Amino acid sequence: MSSTHASDRTRKLAGPLVVLALLALGGFFVANLPKGPDHPRFVGAGNPEPVNGGTFQWTVGSNVRTLDPHIAYDSVSYQAIRLVFDGLLDYDPDGNLIAVLAESLPEISADGKIFRFRLKDGIRFHDGLELTAEEVSWSLHRMLSKRTGSPGYAFFSALRGVADYHEGKAERIEGIVVEDRLTIRFELTHSDQTFLNAMATTFSYPISRAHFERLGGDRTKIAQHPVGAGPFAFEGWERGVKLSFTRFEDYHAPYARPDTMVMWENVDATTAARRFRNGDIDVLAGAPKVHLLFFLESEAWKPYFTLEPNVAVFGLAMNCEMPPLDDVHVRRAIAAAIDRKTITDYMLGLAVPAGQPLPPQLKGHDAELETLQTYDPERAKEELALAGYPNGLPKPIEVWIGEGEGPRNIAQLWQSDLEAVGIPVRLRQVAWATYLAETGKEKSVQMFSSGWSMDFPDPSNFLDPLFHSRSIHPQHSENRSFYRNPELDRLLDEGRAEVDPEKRAALYHEANAIVARDAPWAFLFYPVDFDAWQPYVKNFRPHAVWSDYRSVWLDLPRRPATPEDFEEARR
Amino acid sequence: MSRYILRRAAFGFLVTWLVFTTVFFLMNGLGDPAAAVLGANAQESQIRQFKEQKGLDRPLHEQYLSYLGLIPCVRRDSPAWSDDPGARKHCGILQGDLGESYIHHDSVTRVIGHRLPRTLLLGVMAMVVELVFGIGAGIFAGLRPGTTGDRAVMFGTYLGTSLPTYVTGPLALLVFAYLLGWFPVGGYGATPLEHIQHGILPALVLGIGGTAVYARVMRGEVIESMRQEYVRTARAKGVPEGRVILAHGIRNSLLPAVTMIGLSLPGLVSGAIITEKIFAWPGLGALTIEAINALDAPMVLAVTLLFAVMVQIGNLLADVGVALMDPRIQY
Repeated sequence: MSSTHASDRTRKLAGPLVVLALLALGGFFVANLPKGPDHPRFVGAGNPEPVNGGTFQWTVGSNVRTLDPHIAYDSVSYQAIRLVFDGLLDYDPDGNLIAVLAESLPEISADGKIFRFRLKDGIRFHDGLELTAEEVSWSLHRMLSKRTGSPGYAFFSALRGVADYHEGKAERIEGIVVEDRLTIRFELTHSDQTFLNAMATTFSYPISRAHFERLGGDRTKIAQHPVGAGPFAFEGWERGVKLSFTRFEDYHAPYARPDTMVMWENVDATTAARRFRNGDIDVLAGAPKVHLLFFLESEAWKPYFTLEPNVAVFGLAMNCEMPPLDDVHVRRAIAAAIDRKTITDYMLGLAVPAGQPLPPQLKGHDAELETLQTYDPERAKEELALAGYPNGLPKPIEVWIGEGEGPRNIAQLWQSDLEAVGIPVRLRQVAWATYLAETGKEKSVQMFSSGWSMDFPDPSNFLDPLFHSRSIHPQHSENRSFYRNPELDRLLDEGRAEVDPEKRAALYHEANAIVARDAPWAFLFYPVDFDAWQPYVKNFRPHAVWSDYRSVWLDLPRRPATPEDFEEARR
Repeated sequence: MSRYILRRAAFGFLVTWLVFTTVFFLMNGLGDPAAAVLGANAQESQIRQFKEQKGLDRPLHEQYLSYLGLIPCVRRDSPAWSDDPGARKHCGILQGDLGESYIHHDSVTRVIGHRLPRTLLLGVMAMVVELVFGIGAGIFAGLRPGTTGDRAVMFGTYLGTSLPTYVTGPLALLVFAYLLGWFPVGGYGATPLEHIQHGILPALVLGIGGTAVYARVMRGEVIESMRQEYVRTARAKGVPEGRVILAHGIRNSLLPAVTMIGLSLPGLVSGAIITEKIFAWPGLGALTIEAINALDAPMVLAVTLLFAVMVQIGNLLADVGVALMDPRIQY
């Protein structure tokens, strides 16, 4: 009998004991795990001069959608496309226009309507076809035809005869004239200096006509087998997994670069950060908070990452046709009520405070702007009183914000600022697709968090779509705040047409000040990009326009790093 | 049996059509795909052009009928389109054309064709983990109920069913891949061998929940079977204990597991969305989420069709499998 009791007791104790034993085992295991190094795992060989060779690898969070430069309209596809293709024009890392396939920047007529390009001689596509003015013309005609359906058409609307050609009413675009083997002229219906930027977009990149014809013009095949005149030739694409490119030996402007470039698709940000810290990939663009903190705190990593402002602006857009935001004083009150610093602090330095539409990199931005929107709760209350609301707004304003935890947390920061001065706010988090469709409709959404990333680094690309009355449409309005100001429209039209860079900058300077003063947006911050690279990756420099790695070379063979390799950085 | 299968197939066809139609109209109520695909910078003229190309400027019922293949094509970017209305061909499901993805610029069947084998590989690897460890642990525990071994297994199954993938996934990646270096840090690799190497850790993570469920079900079934009269009779007749356990105890305990395998088949295809994301596994799960977010209707509809068909097949296989294993069941 007593032995049965004893075995019952043992059985009752067995469960908790097993749990305790497993927990103890787990604890022991965790305590004895190796710690990851706080420094890069590999360093370079110390080659004194740039060398060719090696495989450069990086990851992106989603898919490359297409490799057809005339169709692609997303930053991930651009990364791949810009390895294979070159354009007549491009930007240097600071965002200044430079000639690439063209000998120099084009000759522009005094009235700003004619652009003459001279191509470099002897340039060949990867398939051996020679690049001539006729090929450039053919490629642009292909891009601008309705059959191709390129989103790039919208950037070339000033070309003479382009609409007739697009609609199938003309065989050729009148405004594209091949003068001789290497000279091509573009004629516009009116002066539009953003045409230079259009010629630096990927939409203008020449593709090989011979290749196009070999593929029978099949756009799906062309989207997957690109042939351009860029520094790397396309090698292969395992859809959804990776793309690879090899160095093009006959590149027209040779420089030291890797033998192979491998772009891994669909790697989530956290996994990418782990792979980078593990030394599996060579660069990292952006990092989740926990990894960002790691890099910011690591002395050894300090020389190998940058925080560079992006040419973009984020803020709160206000529908100027909907009360009470149709009153400029209410809009100014909102712009003055928000403390930008708390937002940028929350973003761990991945943003700098804004108070005007144009980012610091663009002509027209003014750090000393008189109409600058800054945090001033008292002024906010005064503006509310001027609008007839001395005791604050009687009804809350509905504000739409994007999906995810980040936008919600940021919204809560400005929500409390607004409520502190008497502007109650009701937040509504909506799906991206709904947000895009509804905010573009007339009198649909009162206020919404908004952002703009440039198509090209020119003030017109910010002010025209966002604030010109021409950009207002009943549906799909680009000017989503439905702000109208004839004076601003005039300045923007003159700015687009002005050939003299100084006069042009002055026009945008004035336009920028008007928008800041009339506050169709409360401008909150300019985003900052985090980029890190392994010590053996050389010549990486964040680019003002593109996120790509075509300039890098690898200091190989790499070797495992020791803490001593980073002593200088730590000091 | 064959009449039953035919009846089930007809019912499955009806359900699939209903699911497809519901999703088709739901997708159109969610927002504007042109805006979602082209993004915040899209100009009004670009959106208009996109809608023309994809036939989204046509009335909804025309889009639906064209998608089914009952009227000529409304998509200007389809090879079936012609500017001459009389020369337009059909380009719908009935013609085997599921359309072109808005974001991949390729036929949805081709894109799914790339992704499906990867998702299947991960799913099959996870199922192997579930079956081997789940059924093994369940039998082990069921043969010695109330012992320390049984309690240890049960404790493990509690953990397995309680820990979500978004906890175990990143933890496994951190500990076993990054810190210990036993596995690659996510990804899919480049060769078939690498695919398997890269798949082991996500398959283990994905299989944890299923292992726990199989173990609990099997344990209960084994305990139940071992108490049956026929087991006692077999023992009384002097049948060796190993044979009693295998032929009488375990065989009869496997029926629920077979049903569960059948029901989990659609899960193999739908993909482990969270696991695929954590481990950067480029399968159907990640593709589906991306398509839903971008309102890529042709992709969402094609994936819906695939899932619906798989659910029907999975259910049918489960029923047939059970009938084959248990002669008492007749349809």
